[in-house]
Amino acid sequence: MNAPVNDAEARELALAGMGASRLRKEDARFIQGKGNYVDDIKMAGMLHMDIVRSPVAHARIIKINKEKALAIPGVHAVLTADDLKPLKLHWMPTLAGDVAAVLADEKVHFQMQEVAIVIADDRYIAADAVEAVEVEYDELPVVMDPYAALLPDAPVLRDDLASKTSGAHGPREHHNHIFTWDAGDKAAADAAFASAPVTVSQHMHYPRVHPCPLETCGCVASFDPVRGELTTFITSQAPHVVRTVVSMLSGIPESKVRIVSPDIGGGFGNKVPIYPGYVCAIVASIVLGRPVKWVEDRIENISSTGFARDYHMDGELAATADGKITGLRVNVVADHGAFDACADPTKFPAGMFHICSGSYDIPAAHCSVKGVYTNKAPGGVAYRCSFRVTEAVYLVERMVDVLAQKLGIDKAEIRARNFIRKEQFPYTSAFGFEYDSGDYQAAMDKVLQAVDYKALRAEQAARRADPDSPTLMGIGLVTFTEVVGAGPSKMCDILGVGMFDSCEIRIHPTGSAIARMGTITQGQGHQTTYAQIIATELGIPSEVIQVEEGDTSTAPYGLGTYGSRSTPVAGAAIAMAARKIHAKAKKIAAHMLEVHENDLDWEVDRFKVKGDDAKFKTMAEVAWQAYHQPPEGLEPGLEAVHYYDPPNFTFPFGIYLCVVDIDRATGETKIRRFYALDDCGTRINPMIIEGQIHGGLTEGFAVAMGQQMPFDAQGNLMGNTLMDYFLPTFVETPHWETDHTVTPSPHHPIGAKGVAESPHVGSIPTFTSAIVDAFSHHGMTHMDMPHSAFRVWKELKARGMNL
Amino acid sequence: MEVKLDKRYPLDVDPARAWVILSDLKAVAGCMPGAELTEQLSDTSYKGGVKVKVGPAVAQFGGIVDVLEQDTAAQKMVLRGKGADKGGSSASMDLTAVIEVDPANPEHSVLHGDASVIVNGKFAQFGGRMMVQVSDMILLQFVENFRQAALALPAAAAPAGTIQSAVESSASASPTTASAAAPKVASEINGLAIAWALIKNWWLGLFGKRS
Repeated sequence: MNAPVNDAEARELALAGMGASRLRKEDARFIQGKGNYVDDIKMAGMLHMDIVRSPVAHARIIKINKEKALAIPGVHAVLTADDLKPLKLHWMPTLAGDVAAVLADEKVHFQMQEVAIVIADDRYIAADAVEAVEVEYDELPVVMDPYAALLPDAPVLRDDLASKTSGAHGPREHHNHIFTWDAGDKAAADAAFASAPVTVSQHMHYPRVHPCPLETCGCVASFDPVRGELTTFITSQAPHVVRTVVSMLSGIPESKVRIVSPDIGGGFGNKVPIYPGYVCAIVASIVLGRPVKWVEDRIENISSTGFARDYHMDGELAATADGKITGLRVNVVADHGAFDACADPTKFPAGMFHICSGSYDIPAAHCSVKGVYTNKAPGGVAYRCSFRVTEAVYLVERMVDVLAQKLGIDKAEIRARNFIRKEQFPYTSAFGFEYDSGDYQAAMDKVLQAVDYKALRAEQAARRADPDSPTLMGIGLVTFTEVVGAGPSKMCDILGVGMFDSCEIRIHPTGSAIARMGTITQGQGHQTTYAQIIATELGIPSEVIQVEEGDTSTAPYGLGTYGSRSTPVAGAAIAMAARKIHAKAKKIAAHMLEVHENDLDWEVDRFKVKGDDAKFKTMAEVAWQAYHQPPEGLEPGLEAVHYYDPPNFTFPFGIYLCVVDIDRATGETKIRRFYALDDCGTRINPMIIEGQIHGGLTEGFAVAMGQQMPFDAQGNLMGNTLMDYFLPTFVETPHWETDHTVTPSPHHPIGAKGVAESPHVGSIPTFTSAIVDAFSHHGMTHMDMPHSAFRVWKELKARGMNL
Repeated sequence: MEVKLDKRYPLDVDPARAWVILSDLKAVAGCMPGAELTEQLSDTSYKGGVKVKVGPAVAQFGGIVDVLEQDTAAQKMVLRGKGADKGGSSASMDLTAVIEVDPANPEHSVLHGDASVIVNGKFAQFGGRMMVQVSDMILLQFVENFRQAALALPAAAAPAGTIQSAVESSASASPTTASAAAPKVASEINGLAIAWALIKNWWLGLFGKRS
């Protein structure tokens, strides 16, 4: 570069582009309470909806009496499945190829299922009217256990499917069976096991949990009967998909449907599905010609909207005597609840579960996932993870620990012996994924050195030697790889729409810019980070770049934000759109400087004539020219749209280590140390990454240490309030130590891989690994989550280890 | 959720008079705090309700009670109740109640109840963990009311102590009399008293005692 280094660096700093820890643009409004959430939206003439829900988990509806509710002053309508039938809206398709009842049609399938809706002048009248709707049920036998659901004489849960011998994902072998999905090579895996000197197996249940975002789900639907237009403000992580589905369901042309996701108070997968409440509010607005607001309460959110996990897994590893893994077999029974409403790419009913060979070079592997109906709420969403990656990582990390324990090899050592080596990338796994890049060994070495792993093991040995020690010490280690950024449209679609994403950038005449995206932030800080990518690509300060998302009338079509896909897919779309603008800007600059394009160099924010520092045009000057007097033959204006269809997924990874001290008297676990090293490729905003990692670790801590959805035999959910459901606050949350390495993705325009979900995916098995490690000298190989004090104490007591 | 209760309550009432009350469903309902029978549907079937208040939560179960078996010789009643609350709860109960002769004192009786209660919906979710304790408190109030109702009946003419005499004396007392003898009780279950009793028991439990 010809310009003084200091000058260019100063200008680069002023842009606050990629790599800058720029403060979040969103925070000013959030910390002042000036966000604009769905429940903040008030419209003239707006009515309120509330939902009558089933108190029982499985029953036939004998009679619904609306009279008393309709008699309450201020009640406008009470609608049941029978009212929706003429519109063919009493059932709706799910994202997983099944159908789900919008309002219970003759039968209820789970507790808190939507049975009727009430529309009233205000929320209070609506709630009173809900109590006045009388529903008579004839109770049926309840099936809560997926294994029991598959017994030959189990009650038929889905009458509507009883005669169907095949579903969206192949043949059904039982009336409560949804699908069986296989990946990998069964024959090769079986052969590996047949000849293996060592094999281990472990059963584990990844319990049903709920993402429980701070803001519950809701919408304001407003149908304008004069214009025939429907506007809906909605808590959705994928507003464009909602628009397509609403148009398909309602028959209103997609051009007359406007879906807006305003500020969203956390999603974590919970706001991907389309819920009956949304559909009912839209129908009510169309029927009544007035805006209708529906916002669920906390109990409704936890009880009836998308849960996560609930995988009963059997893992097996085959290995040589020195711990080299030769084969992996996994069998899963997946409890999907009453309707298969998983939010996965169409071809993958178990999502990306086949990433379960993890960070290891395993030559032969096979997995089989069996989806089953039970009398629980539908869901199976990706709770801060990419489509079942959390379950997969949990499985393989637990299995590697089990193998290490059997062989008496240290956890770190067995991982080192099995890692996919740096020089093997791009690496094709036994399940067919092409891992883009990684350097696991270097990352693990960094962590082991940072925490002085040898000293920790020595301390643990000393503690174990002391029979009077009041605590047990455990060390958890996880070396995980995620698959995110769904995804290449040749593999991934949702309802037939490829999982690309999009960006439209307009540079204004005075050099500021607006970018509109197909994604939607729910706390990730898109308005901050997306602007930084543009700032670096186009040399415009991020401060003058507006980022807009969530309004389908203005934003280009995109598949939304979940599965860590914003940076890998939309982030790439931004870079590509910016590069289109850059190419045009270069032509304009060449014209302005009266040189050939090839004689120009790009430096931070300007095009410079090679060899002449004084001759340059900044991007702002080029922008003015684009609108003022573009070169002959070039269109005026400076804008571009890019739809990015990723060539592959991205594979972020991390090395997490946790040290716990378990109180032998109470079972209480103290997280003494948690060290998280993440590699998400190119880092756009280190401060936001740090925040994302803290958030993900905290949610991982919540899942591992306390979250559960306990059901009784009658199907009552016994923990659906925040009195019971564990949401950690600063009081419970441990201190987090973070670190990173950078291994860019070779196929991504800026090398970024996505990060927000890694800490959730990676931390959960780390906690289990640490807890089990504390007990391992007493023969424990596995303990199911949650590791609450009571459950840990029971393990202590069962082994006579309690004080 | 399901709660199984199998309880024996000694009563300082002779078996004959106790059976008079037990065999009269209206009288039994009168002894149950917050309960009432509103309509007789058949010889063995009644419509009724029970109101339970625990703190701010009120559940008003309305439903049907059926007498499945009334065995005068064995002094046994088998009942099934089923009801629902407007606020999203439902409950059902299978109860077998027997008047036994107190083995230590033939002048006295023992009220033996064996019940399985299933509660669904909000009541199970909110009240689940207190179900057993609350049931215990409700039953204690019920037994006290039951005892008073029985004591208020005129004493049996024949010497008590044998099944035969008890049967005879029960035959002499008309159901109307028994119902009339039912005491005035609080119109709903007293949540505050329950809460207080729970707290008291908890404190006593800490010191190794149980009231």
